[in-house]
Amino acid sequence: MHRLLPLLPAVPLLGAGLLVAGGRHVPRPVAEAFACVAAATTAALAIVLLPHSSPPLVEWVGGWFPKGGESVGIVLLGDGVSLGLVALVSLITLAALAYSWHYFDEPPRGHAGTFPALILLFQGGMCGFAIAGDLFNLFVFFELMSVVAYALTGYRIDEARAVQGGVTFGVVNSLGAYFMLMGIALLYARTGELAMAKIGHGLDAAAAHHGPDALALAGFVMVLTGLLVKAAAVPFQFWLPDAHAVAPTPVCMLLSGVMVELGAYGVWRVYGTVFSGPGGVPAADASRALVVLGVLTGAVGSVMCWYQRHIKRLLAFSTIAHTGLFLVGIGVLKAEADDGTALYILGHAGVKAALFACAGILLDRYGSVDELYLHGRARRLRGVGVMFAVGALALAGLPPFGTGLGKAVSEEAVGGPLTVLYVAASALTGAAVLRVAARVFLGLGPRPEEGDGEESDEDETSGADEEPETQKRLNHVPLPMVAVPAVLLAAALVVGAVPGFADMVGHAVEAAGTWGVFSSVHWTATGVLLDLLSTLLAVGLAMVAVTRPGLLGAPGWALPLRRLQSGHVGDYVAWLLVGTALLGALALPGVLG
Amino acid sequence: MNPRTRLWLVVLGGGGLAALLVAACLRLPVFGGPWHPYGDRAVRAALARHTANTVASVNFDQRAFDTMGEMTILFGAVLGCVVLLRQARDEHRDPPAPCEVAAPVRRYALIVLPVALVTGLYVIAHGQLSPGGGFQGGVVAATALHLMYLGADYAALERIRPIEAYEIGDALSASAYLVLGFAGVLAGSAFLANTLLPYGTFNMLSSGGTVPLLNAAIGMEVACAVVVLLARFLDQAVEIEEGSGE
Repeated sequence: MHRLLPLLPAVPLLGAGLLVAGGRHVPRPVAEAFACVAAATTAALAIVLLPHSSPPLVEWVGGWFPKGGESVGIVLLGDGVSLGLVALVSLITLAALAYSWHYFDEPPRGHAGTFPALILLFQGGMCGFAIAGDLFNLFVFFELMSVVAYALTGYRIDEARAVQGGVTFGVVNSLGAYFMLMGIALLYARTGELAMAKIGHGLDAAAAHHGPDALALAGFVMVLTGLLVKAAAVPFQFWLPDAHAVAPTPVCMLLSGVMVELGAYGVWRVYGTVFSGPGGVPAADASRALVVLGVLTGAVGSVMCWYQRHIKRLLAFSTIAHTGLFLVGIGVLKAEADDGTALYILGHAGVKAALFACAGILLDRYGSVDELYLHGRARRLRGVGVMFAVGALALAGLPPFGTGLGKAVSEEAVGGPLTVLYVAASALTGAAVLRVAARVFLGLGPRPEEGDGEESDEDETSGADEEPETQKRLNHVPLPMVAVPAVLLAAALVVGAVPGFADMVGHAVEAAGTWGVFSSVHWTATGVLLDLLSTLLAVGLAMVAVTRPGLLGAPGWALPLRRLQSGHVGDYVAWLLVGTALLGALALPGVLG
Repeated sequence: MNPRTRLWLVVLGGGGLAALLVAACLRLPVFGGPWHPYGDRAVRAALARHTANTVASVNFDQRAFDTMGEMTILFGAVLGCVVLLRQARDEHRDPPAPCEVAAPVRRYALIVLPVALVTGLYVIAHGQLSPGGGFQGGVVAATALHLMYLGADYAALERIRPIEAYEIGDALSASAYLVLGFAGVLAGSAFLANTLLPYGTFNMLSSGGTVPLLNAAIGMEVACAVVVLLARFLDQAVEIEEGSGE
């Protein structure tokens, strides 16, 4: 079975190649059906391989199996986590392709296969990233998914904001990638190895003489900077809202649903395999670094989310808030927290992709994603409204959604004051989305007035006057655009509600991790109560916000935080440097001690 | 954020990062040492497969999977350029007027063009034997065609460079690399395994098993990709003008 591992990235990549070669000579539905088949084949392959993933499938590409413990080849890892992620990536890709089926306007004219081909390349990059067991190979696929994502973000070149979002995304992420490459070079110089497990052993062997040193720390900081940029951790997160607000909706589903989470996965994989030994970074220090950044990310993301009126930006900030929670879950370095985070990522992918799909419907129907402009305008879209509200509640952690289960399991594992962060972040982001639902789909509350308050226009992105992504404004919503979010929400429900599924995920995660323990993953009374608490908080906050807009309006103290999101690439780069230094400072004590 | 604050942030962050990197570099192995674990293994593996150029063996045999990723990055970047550098709604095409080229420039360009093209093809073909290979030779061959732009004019370049053919060539050669990978699995061996063809005689054109084939696929992919890439940028510079109409 391990022979089939390299096909996971290769199938979508070959699909993309053939689509570009032949796409212009076939009608558009044929090109899109072909892309769907390629994405679905990959998903099926991953699901077929999953039952065989314990013990993990290991493949040396090209048959370069180690001789005497040494190999010149590239190793791929097919354990429960990586194959699970490949399946998730492929299914969300399939959802995005189905969503854009026929209706999404796909320039350039006469290049029918181009958009689906880019989506397949994106999928191939993410699949390759997930199964990489070699640090340089991980970097190659990191670059592949980045490059394609820049192009997809700037897809609608007729809008200045799309170009700006694409450029910011490109500059910040490329810098992160260079840092990562420098880190890989340092680690290679010390160990002469590129396979992650081998680098780990090499570091441990070198540390036998003198303990972890500045080189190990620098390698850790540089490699993690690249991954944390992708994961949009504070203060590397600035590119994400600018990019997610302007990217076409099907692309947003992929960016927010899986790509950002892959950054968090990369942190988990790299720390666990490379730096967790005696020659790497001591557990207490790595944990401090990740938890501090995670808490900051969760807090900044949820506060910023609350104060948005541009619906896609609001959803983008909620993604940042949730990545903060994922980073905390990974950062506490506990088996149960890993289980919880995995479930949370699965549930979140479905819910967030569904919410973006609903926002896309608003955009194509009304030419706006402005919460205030759309007030009461979407009353007739009842089904979409229901899905949006259900998505909001799931985001807040309503049982038995997968998000709720993931949140509950993570909360129990992290314990103490960090639980407050989980409840607050999910309540606040859920409340913000619920507030949008109440205003846009029900027309509740007073009609908000334009230009109230002391802030000027430049502090806010409204989301009015956006161009629909379909060829013309929709008069009725086509079936695939409604079916996709419905299926995604149902899938998020299945993750939490089907008995045994969570246990399966938990086993897969623990078999892939280094913990060597198996705990049972299930709903507990405390978990359900905490989930209900955050859901009620979300409903309460949303009700207050809708009925008394003045009470929870943007206060003065939040303005400086909002002004940091300036859109100036130089600012973002400065924050990137500060973040790298901060990461080093947080992990420094272990090296000094 | 005002420029002053930004500068302070850069100084703070950059200073911390610089200190960390200097400390790390002081711990690097000394320059010129005899310890090269990967290099030694790679040379042994290259010789065992009769590939004279070890770099080609690393690129197209030992770590051919990385090269697959890198080739796809180029492919994706070119496709991205085709999308991003398309004619926007508020732009129109204005074919440039032909202009006189100084006779010596014209003669030089037209003489050098075939020489440069053959050099590029040579570098690709000998990738498994001598320094160079698909990536380098592809760029040489692609830029050689653009001597036509210097020697004649844009219309002449467009005649020898039917862009659609190059776009399809780009996609087909990328697919060919992947198909060679699949062939390994179908033959019962591993993905991208160099076991399909005999390794041949050391230092001959046909040596190295599948290395020359993968190398040729990369050469064609890079040549087509660079042509398409340059065409998109030249289009923006020469043909596509702002304003929506004549």
